[in-house]
Amino acid sequence: MFLAWQEIKKNKLRFTLITGILFLVSYLVFFLSGLASGLASLNREAVDKWEASAIILTDESDKSLSQSFMSIDQLEDVNAEKTAVLGQLNAIASNGDSKQNIALFGINEDEFIMPKVTEGSAFKEANEVIASDALKEDGFDIGDTLSLSSSDVELTIVGFTDDARFNAAPVLYADLPTFQEVKFGEAAEQNEDQINGIVVQDKSVSNLTQNEDLEAIEIQTFIENLPGYTAQKLTLNFMIYFLFAISSIIVAIFLYVLTVQKISMFGVMKAQGISSSYLSWSVVAQTFILSIVGTALGFALTLLSGTFLPAAVPVSFDLLVMVIYGVILMLVATAGAVFSVLTIVRIDPLKAIGG
Amino acid sequence: MMAVLELHDVKKSYGSDHKKVDALKETNFLADRGELIAIIGPSGSGKSTFLTIVGGLLTPSSGDVIINGQNLTTLSEKQRSQIRLKEIGFVLQSSNLVPFLSVANQMKLLDKVKKGNMSKKDCEKLYEELDIADLLTKYPSDLSGGQRQRVAIAKALYSNPSIILADEPTASLDSDRAYEVMELLKKITKQKKTTTIVVTHDIRLVDYCDKVYRMTDGVLAEEEKHEQSPQLAGAHH
Repeated sequence: MFLAWQEIKKNKLRFTLITGILFLVSYLVFFLSGLASGLASLNREAVDKWEASAIILTDESDKSLSQSFMSIDQLEDVNAEKTAVLGQLNAIASNGDSKQNIALFGINEDEFIMPKVTEGSAFKEANEVIASDALKEDGFDIGDTLSLSSSDVELTIVGFTDDARFNAAPVLYADLPTFQEVKFGEAAEQNEDQINGIVVQDKSVSNLTQNEDLEAIEIQTFIENLPGYTAQKLTLNFMIYFLFAISSIIVAIFLYVLTVQKISMFGVMKAQGISSSYLSWSVVAQTFILSIVGTALGFALTLLSGTFLPAAVPVSFDLLVMVIYGVILMLVATAGAVFSVLTIVRIDPLKAIGG
Repeated sequence: MMAVLELHDVKKSYGSDHKKVDALKETNFLADRGELIAIIGPSGSGKSTFLTIVGGLLTPSSGDVIINGQNLTTLSEKQRSQIRLKEIGFVLQSSNLVPFLSVANQMKLLDKVKKGNMSKKDCEKLYEELDIADLLTKYPSDLSGGQRQRVAIAKALYSNPSIILADEPTASLDSDRAYEVMELLKKITKQKKTTTIVVTHDIRLVDYCDKVYRMTDGVLAEEEKHEQSPQLAGAHH
């Protein structure tokens, strides 16, 4: 560590450059992880709020909630500790001033997927809804009357709830009859038993139903099958993993060049009896110091940037994920010292003194 | 009394059969404590081969190299490295100082790898003896050639080695600085009773030495020591 630190102190510019690159890479990694987490939340936060273990959809719907149509009577075919019926449709909601894509959930007030109201009150009458508080940023408020695309029914916001977005759209929660009226219009009465799925809470996700027309899907699987969710997640994760590799390669190249410049010095030191392991450890320690500083700066700047970002930017920093990525970044950067270590081990002290 | 350094029938060859090159032919050599020995000869004569074998950096093709009773040829690379660390001090042409360490830290590094061989008081004494006490905060790039070699000698002496191997220690110095360095090597050899072997092609320096060996085509032969050479007499103050 002594040799490593002394060299850093003496050659500040050189090592500031390497640290700068590590800092920028780590900043990008942390920011992308925040973006990945934020975008994932946009898709899944309403589902996460259910704290459900599985969802029952029709087998032919191919795990898509909007394509699953079933009768409420099929609750009898479901064997679970807790169940909650769910109707869902997508629409454009307008309060006269603003328009927004929304997901309308039809639920029963006394079942476990009923959201906690954070402002206003729960729906009590027909055509009342609890809205995602994300709509507030778009100019929606309690008391607003909403007209929906493809429906003549008008809804009234009576309360707000937090963390309620589904597939990037803010959710409106209404009771089941209101949902059916929106969905089926004049045919609502004939379709009063129509829902899209049954959300369940149970210790086990196997044997939830024996009905061959129904499929019990684990909640994580259901989320991964939300349109675009997995593709988006894979793309961002791929970018993050690629940045890990890039940081390792950059550090490896920088250190290798520095090591090659010091071959004769290392050779003399080896001739003097200083072991390869001491010199190698010095290079590894040096890399570790640089990676800690670079990653810590990236971490700090990411959190700082987060406080200045407008709410429209879908970032959500998960500290645990950031710490894990930070540790990985430090490890892969340090692994970049391997080529330098191999070079040091291979240095022949004989050549250093002209033998 | 046992010699500090003994070479018995040491040979070093490269290649095989008709392509075989004898870099060092059968060599026998003894060096005692307090002796300053010069190995002279033209480039390519085998001087460096001799030095690297004595320094445990190169394994001879045959023969024994014995330092303070330990036969280097029977030791592993790690053990030879330990011998180099404890028993041998190297002084090289110009590049054996670590460029990013101050003079004080050059010594501190040795203290770290040699685990406290010298007390602070001993170090200060060494700095005074080598006249480098005022240079401790300076970096190699701030030093003159002569100052660098004085620091290099201090490094070589750090662990109180029994042998100092100097490979062309004056090659990068002007005449005055070269004589200064040789004076210093002579002084410490006598004071600290080290065995100092100086490999050089500069014949002017041999007058500082107790013994002179000439290497010619891999054959080491002791030369009768003459009085001060005319060049040295003219240049030396």
